[in-house]
Amino acid sequence: MSGIKPGHRYALIFALVSLGLIFTQGPFFAYAQNEDVKEKRPQRLIVMAAEYPGVEVGVDEDVRMDLIFHNRGRTDENVDVWIAEKPDGWKAKIKTYRYVVTGAHIPSGDDKTLSFEAEPDNVVQPGKYKFRVEAQTQDGRFKMNQNISVTVKEKEEDTKKEKGVKLTTSYPVLQGPSDAKFEFSVEVDSKLDEDAVFDLFAQGPQGWETNFKPAYEQKYISSVRLKANQSQTIALEVKPQFMATAGEYPVNIRVSSSDAKAEAQFTVILTGTYDMEVGTPDGLLSMNARQGKPANVSFYVKNIGSAALNDIEFLSFKPENWKVELKPEKIPAIEPGDLKQVEAIITPYEEALVGDYSVTFKIDGQKVSKGMEYRVTVKASSAWGWIGIGIIVFVIAGLTGLFRWLGRR
Amino acid sequence: MHAVKTILKKELADHFSSYRFMILFALIAMVSLITVYMAGINLKQELEGVAKPRFVFLMLFTSRGAMFSLVEFVAFFGPLIGLILGFDTINRERNEGTLSKLLSQPIYRDDVINGKFLAGMVTITVMLISIVLVITGLGLSLLGVIPGIEELLRIIIYLIISIIYVSFWLGAAILFSILFRSVATSALAALAAWIFFSFFVSLGASVMAGAITPDAGASDPAALIARAKITKAIALSSPMELYSDSAATIIDPMRKTNRSFVQMGVIERFSMARFSGPLPLSQSILVVAPYIISLIAITVICFAISYTVFMRQEIRSF
Repeated sequence: MSGIKPGHRYALIFALVSLGLIFTQGPFFAYAQNEDVKEKRPQRLIVMAAEYPGVEVGVDEDVRMDLIFHNRGRTDENVDVWIAEKPDGWKAKIKTYRYVVTGAHIPSGDDKTLSFEAEPDNVVQPGKYKFRVEAQTQDGRFKMNQNISVTVKEKEEDTKKEKGVKLTTSYPVLQGPSDAKFEFSVEVDSKLDEDAVFDLFAQGPQGWETNFKPAYEQKYISSVRLKANQSQTIALEVKPQFMATAGEYPVNIRVSSSDAKAEAQFTVILTGTYDMEVGTPDGLLSMNARQGKPANVSFYVKNIGSAALNDIEFLSFKPENWKVELKPEKIPAIEPGDLKQVEAIITPYEEALVGDYSVTFKIDGQKVSKGMEYRVTVKASSAWGWIGIGIIVFVIAGLTGLFRWLGRR
Repeated sequence: MHAVKTILKKELADHFSSYRFMILFALIAMVSLITVYMAGINLKQELEGVAKPRFVFLMLFTSRGAMFSLVEFVAFFGPLIGLILGFDTINRERNEGTLSKLLSQPIYRDDVINGKFLAGMVTITVMLISIVLVITGLGLSLLGVIPGIEELLRIIIYLIISIIYVSFWLGAAILFSILFRSVATSALAALAAWIFFSFFVSLGASVMAGAITPDAGASDPAALIARAKITKAIALSSPMELYSDSAATIIDPMRKTNRSFVQMGVIERFSMARFSGPLPLSQSILVVAPYIISLIAITVICFAISYTVFMRQEIRSF
């Protein structure tokens, strides 16, 4: 103190007095602020704080947090900010969303948030690290400092494994008919620290169609790009094979990038469809028959569904007195895609009028039934025509004989 | 053969120049024309709302105008043509003494009867063809419908059947003229036969059938069918029945049977109505083939009888 020059001494005294004033007046100021924020704020007051003064991270993990400035005074302030202390092996910086920052403007009554980032290099060992951020107003009236302590912990092996990518789905089993489209929704959750492109693979049963789509979008994708620690929902669309039979089918998917991989299994339960087709080999649905004479016709029953049809019965809707015989009378089962031939013997009534009749078969296969109508043309027997011609020939021969016998008298 | 031609020509000349033929032809043509005209007018009104009428032309023959259709008219009064042309063929010549004169010429006896029968047939053919042609022309202008091939074929077959039918009555009339010496007797006999077969057979058939099946009624359908069958069987002894059935079936493609009474189940009727189409011509012919054949046969047999009787008759005694 003795070495201080007289001019300086005055200045020191002034500074001490003003400091003392500030300290004695401080509670008053705080009280006034509580009373009426707008009217009774002090002329100048600025505070700095870190969001999390103490954090714990794993090895190789970055630290990122907000640095908040509160201006509680009545004047706008410009503040310089810098990192005063950082451990070896760490890179630390203060930035906004865009710039690395050394100073900030904080309007009166407002807050300002800056971002503190610390990034360890590869050699950083587990332990406790201390950062110190300092700030001061440009005229030096206010000096602020903030300690941030970072504890780096050794990660366990399990957590390391889990890192990578995770697949989750709400509905792993879907059920429906064979001609339906199934859409599984999968959430791909990236646990990687960096952006990565994940390839998508799906493996369904032979002949099935599997496609990945973004959720709610109609385009097919084969890979997806995810940012670090981000997740996205994608859809897996599965189209069963046309003739797939009823049953349970697994669909495996694999999501992989260069350093992460995940698999999941979905199940599609097909209930199968029941459908059949009936017809004649040549497509002809008309036939000729004679009164009282049996006429043959054959038709086929084809299972065009994907489930077996059982106990197929035939009903015939025919005119009275007609006989319709079916061989076989019943088909116990038809597998999907199979075809069975049925022989029908239609015998018109002896005294049926000539003309066209309708004979309808109903093929009843429990779950589905089909009808087939035949147009049966009953034709007059031509036997009478021949007999008639015989009679006429006979009569004319008789007449000729008569001419020979009695003529030329 | 030459002699037949000569007689044919002579007879034709006689027929076409006789007043008898003129009056007969005028009468028949007039009645037919009126019948068809009435039918045509009726048809025109009936078919106004029909979207696609089929076989309109044939309806001219089957639909009734004032009293009867053309087919019915020919069935009832066609025989008169044959009878009037033939009832005095032989006995008039005999009574006038020209038959022995004719036979003194180098003409065989069979040529005479053949020539006379053929001349009658040709006259009938000319008459019927001209009537049908006039009707067709009238129909064309009245309905404005052009008949199709099948309709034409049906009309031609109808024409042939009609010629055969009228020829049967011609043959019968010639037979009577051979059997009876008196012209009046043969004319009366022919008329009696016509009236008997045309009117009494059908009446008698229902009386007979009613007597055989007295308990037929709504409660006994089997007996009712039996009665219908008996009626039909008896009625078929009349050539008129044979003719009207076959003509109606040929002219009307929708007619599928000759039976007057058909028992049909509900489903059978439904099944038939499902494809209610007309019969093709061949089927129509096959349906009535027995009738047409019977008609031809009785015509030939009738002529054969008159031929035989004529050939074995004594002529020179006159």
